[in-house]
Amino acid sequence: MKVFVYDLEKCNGCHNCQIACKDEHVDNEWLPYAMPQPDTGQFWCKVEEEVCGKVPHVRVNYLPVQCNHCDEAPCMKGHPAVHKRADGLVVIDPEEAKGQKDIVASCPYGHIYWNEELQIPQKCTGCAHLLDDGWDAPRCVDACCTGALRFGEEADFGDELKDAEVLGADFGTVPRVYYLNKPKRFVAATVVDLDADEVVEGATGLLQRISDDAVVMTAETDEFGDIWFEDVAPDSYRLWLKKEGYLDQAVDADVTEGDHAIPELPFFRVPVRK
Amino acid sequence: MEGKTRGDTVFRGISWSAFACSANTACVDVKDGKILRIRPLHFDDVSSSEQRRPWKIEARGRSFEPGEKTMLPPLSLSYKKRIYSPNRILRPMKRVDWDPTGERNTQNRGASKFEYISWDEATDIIAKEIKRIHDEYGPYAILCQADGHGETKVVHAPHGAQATMLDLVGGYTLQSRQPDSWEGWYWGGKHIWGNEPVGMQVNQRNLFKDIAEHGDAVLYWGCDLETTPWGWGGEQPSRMAYFLEDLGLRSFFISPDLNYTGAAHKGKWIPVLPNTDAALQLAIAYVWITEGTYYRDYLETHTIGFDWFERYVLGGEDGVPKTPKWAESKCGVPSYTIKAFARYWATHAVSIAHADGGGMIRSPFSAEPARLEVVLLAMQGIGRPGVGQLHLIEFGQFGFAEWNPMPRSEKYFEVPGAYHGWMELLDGHPSFIPKTMIPQALTLPEGEKLRWHGHGVCTAPRGDQFIPFEWPLDDAPYIHMIMSDSPSWTTCWNCGNAMQDALRNERIETIIMQHPWFENDAVFADLILPVNTMFEEKDIAVDNWTGQYNMMYIQDHCIDPIGESKSDWECAIEVAKKLERFGGIYENLVERYTKGMDVDEWIKAGFESANVDPSLMTYEEFAEKKLCLAPTAEGWEDDPVALAAWYEDFASQPMQTPTGKIEIYSTGLADFFPDDKTRPVVPHWIEESDDLKERLSCARAQEYPFLMVTNHPRWRVHSEHDDITWLREISTCKVKGPDGYLYEPVWLNPVDAGKLGISDGDVVSVYNERGSVLGGAIVTERIMPGSVYQDHGARVDAIVRGKGGLDRGGANNLICPLATASENTLSEATNGFLVNVRKVDVEALAAQYPEEFSREYQPEDGLRVSAWIADETCKRS
Repeated sequence: MKVFVYDLEKCNGCHNCQIACKDEHVDNEWLPYAMPQPDTGQFWCKVEEEVCGKVPHVRVNYLPVQCNHCDEAPCMKGHPAVHKRADGLVVIDPEEAKGQKDIVASCPYGHIYWNEELQIPQKCTGCAHLLDDGWDAPRCVDACCTGALRFGEEADFGDELKDAEVLGADFGTVPRVYYLNKPKRFVAATVVDLDADEVVEGATGLLQRISDDAVVMTAETDEFGDIWFEDVAPDSYRLWLKKEGYLDQAVDADVTEGDHAIPELPFFRVPVRK
Repeated sequence: MEGKTRGDTVFRGISWSAFACSANTACVDVKDGKILRIRPLHFDDVSSSEQRRPWKIEARGRSFEPGEKTMLPPLSLSYKKRIYSPNRILRPMKRVDWDPTGERNTQNRGASKFEYISWDEATDIIAKEIKRIHDEYGPYAILCQADGHGETKVVHAPHGAQATMLDLVGGYTLQSRQPDSWEGWYWGGKHIWGNEPVGMQVNQRNLFKDIAEHGDAVLYWGCDLETTPWGWGGEQPSRMAYFLEDLGLRSFFISPDLNYTGAAHKGKWIPVLPNTDAALQLAIAYVWITEGTYYRDYLETHTIGFDWFERYVLGGEDGVPKTPKWAESKCGVPSYTIKAFARYWATHAVSIAHADGGGMIRSPFSAEPARLEVVLLAMQGIGRPGVGQLHLIEFGQFGFAEWNPMPRSEKYFEVPGAYHGWMELLDGHPSFIPKTMIPQALTLPEGEKLRWHGHGVCTAPRGDQFIPFEWPLDDAPYIHMIMSDSPSWTTCWNCGNAMQDALRNERIETIIMQHPWFENDAVFADLILPVNTMFEEKDIAVDNWTGQYNMMYIQDHCIDPIGESKSDWECAIEVAKKLERFGGIYENLVERYTKGMDVDEWIKAGFESANVDPSLMTYEEFAEKKLCLAPTAEGWEDDPVALAAWYEDFASQPMQTPTGKIEIYSTGLADFFPDDKTRPVVPHWIEESDDLKERLSCARAQEYPFLMVTNHPRWRVHSEHDDITWLREISTCKVKGPDGYLYEPVWLNPVDAGKLGISDGDVVSVYNERGSVLGGAIVTERIMPGSVYQDHGARVDAIVRGKGGLDRGGANNLICPLATASENTLSEATNGFLVNVRKVDVEALAAQYPEEFSREYQPEDGLRVSAWIADETCKRS
């Protein structure tokens, strides 16, 4: 059974997967697999983008999304026009599905589109027309330059998929599109001794969860005074900074809604009494 | 791979460098006269691994290889939409109120509409106009605009086909193109360390391997390897950057925007205000000098003039020490970060990467940050292991094999024998005008001359910059006619609004253009010939610029010409046919121009000029296989690393400067321009000049308090691709306004947007006294406060033409400074200039300019040529 695997650490956001899909399916008819995709408005593969943090601690997350070719695909239920192939791909028969707009709504991911002109539901076919004709990979995979997107037998990926995630795991649809290194929220700051006009290296940061006072993570400032807490679960925290000769400093870091970045976090020396 | 879904496969280099140097080799599948798809070429489909001898760079337990396929960018994958664009010019067109035998109505250029005419009529008019101009004024009254980027073609040369034809009938005045995108290197870098012809570190031999083995960090200083190389090199640099990260090298992104490199890769972003890099550089030098953390001995042996620099940095010259605090007030980087950064740099092996130039290299006084970068690299001993200036674009350009950081190929393919375009050469055109001075030239008052130094073309050596020139030549005419095959001056050069005025000057009696699409300057033409895209022509191509494998191939035509279009070369032949009728110097012109050879014969001539060793491939094999791939050179690993020998002993590998050393005190500038305050002998921070007041400290900043970033576009190559529907629906490509128009994005930091009352999705005006351009606001943390970002090259949609005008398309080159970046250079200063931003009410604007706002427009692809056709019956046919 085939799977798509996106390694998001290697995704450079170029949109080749999105564009190659259009190149293959717009204005090309691949019956019995697919009717043409409209020129614009449908994204059988779509690269989503999210900008996180605050200047200068900013990251951009790219997330390519497509039909998940679910093993328990809701679109198949009650819709004989949708079927799962032996290789795992879920395909909508364009002729049989004509007029069946409810197939669009059946997808909890919103990855099925309605073609108003042709009156058919449409989505990623996994380029089944090519695979059945001897090609190695769907177009989106072939177009990926960095190796971020791969396609193959699930077993061939071996241990690689053990930490992989799927989108909407709680939908219970058992997706066949996996994501590696999916970015989580972060807390970041630049720690500065403003009196000395110097960044502070080697300060220890503790991330304490406010609800139960548990310290969930520790990190250290680097030679730029930067501290990054990665993979932080959504919650409210207090960031404690400690370093010999400095006053303990605490600031709130709320990541319930998104990442938290502090461009300049002042850190003060213990006054020296003469 | 089976044939049912595949179609017939044609090789094609889908790139836009234009000058016979292609890249982005693709397989185009064609069936029943239609392009099915554009996909990467898999090397295994055209050769075996044994034949290719793939290189392997091994470092720190990891390895990097060329990859199994070409690394096409989305610009290539989506190009089908450009070929079939509804904005293609399908038949010759003439401006309705331009009568070559009567009223020419030059003032109406850019406003009045067009009518279709036949090829016969069009070429009749062009030939008669050329003859008339020749008789009345002489050949130098014709300006040829025949340069710039555009589709890469060889036999069908997209630029200069008309020029090489006119060369045979007395010549013309040449628009000589400046090295746009690397002006600072060209006008500054060359004076400090030679490195002909560009002024960047040209010797890159095995530099990538060296950095992989010995480097600690790479500074992507204004460098967007995820954007700039796309047009003619694809995505290989992206893989290179990931590899260095995998090895544990640290990445730094130094630019006002978190560009697409900073977005894709992990590292530290150091936001710096546009074109204030020189202040940051000086403060880094200050830290090193005051803390003694630089290669003093190296400076003694390898450079001259460091004392002058040290004196300036410490404040000996102007009483202002260039401290981190001083720099913070200019560049917006906190002084504590500058100090930390300087200390990190001084204790690590740090290289700087560029894809030609970032913003600083295309800004006012760009010669300064370019030279200051070289000073910093010298202060840290450039040439020692892991320390270099890494080049991430155009590997091996100009045929310089060593200008490629990747392992060497056995063969660098060039096919000059087939090329019909203009080459960027110095000789043969005594009458020329620098491209950055065209608006002034077209409107030059009678009796006056333009004066400047240097040819300015990319390939000219350093010494050429000291030669004085003037235009017009003695007893030569002014410009009365323009023939252009690159109608994108207004959206790519310095102050397009001034150019829009110049193009309407009544002294310019005739403007002939040839182009595939009706866009930008084409609107200002009197007569336009429809040109093919590369997919409609048979040609030869080379691909040397990726660092994977060098290739040369035949590009069969994919589809028949759309409409009545012809190639640029064929357009020139059609005009030549008509000129022949006048006899005399025009006699036998077609034969002289084509040498009696057809396309296949030219392709063969191209192959022969490539001097391929027959053991690699003969012409007969080439004609059959259509592709020749050169293997990796044997023994590439043993090539000495770029500047390693220089580091050990400067005299063994001298720089191309008068002293052979890095001239921090530039002796050439001292000899020729000792008093130039805009490009001093020792590099400086320059606040402003008489011509350029583009700093936040300038009085103008009261009204225009933001510094503009105008990067090379992510979703275009300069002005190309703006009509591609699939790109336009990407969120960072266009912003949909309330009127349904897709506006060019303008990035604003939330802090600035808040002050200005601007929200995400608002239509805004970016403006200064030179004019306004509209855009769609994206409020984002990807741009630092105090700066405004809008990619350059959006398609012009003029609402009000000329100086003080209004453009809906967002073509911000219209409002750039007209003045060159410093007094004695010809460099454009199209980044880092002052603007203000305000929210606009598009409904009110539409009411004010009803005609302009109701031009035929489809959000999916933009403006269409049909909007400019006068006669309704013509529109449909």
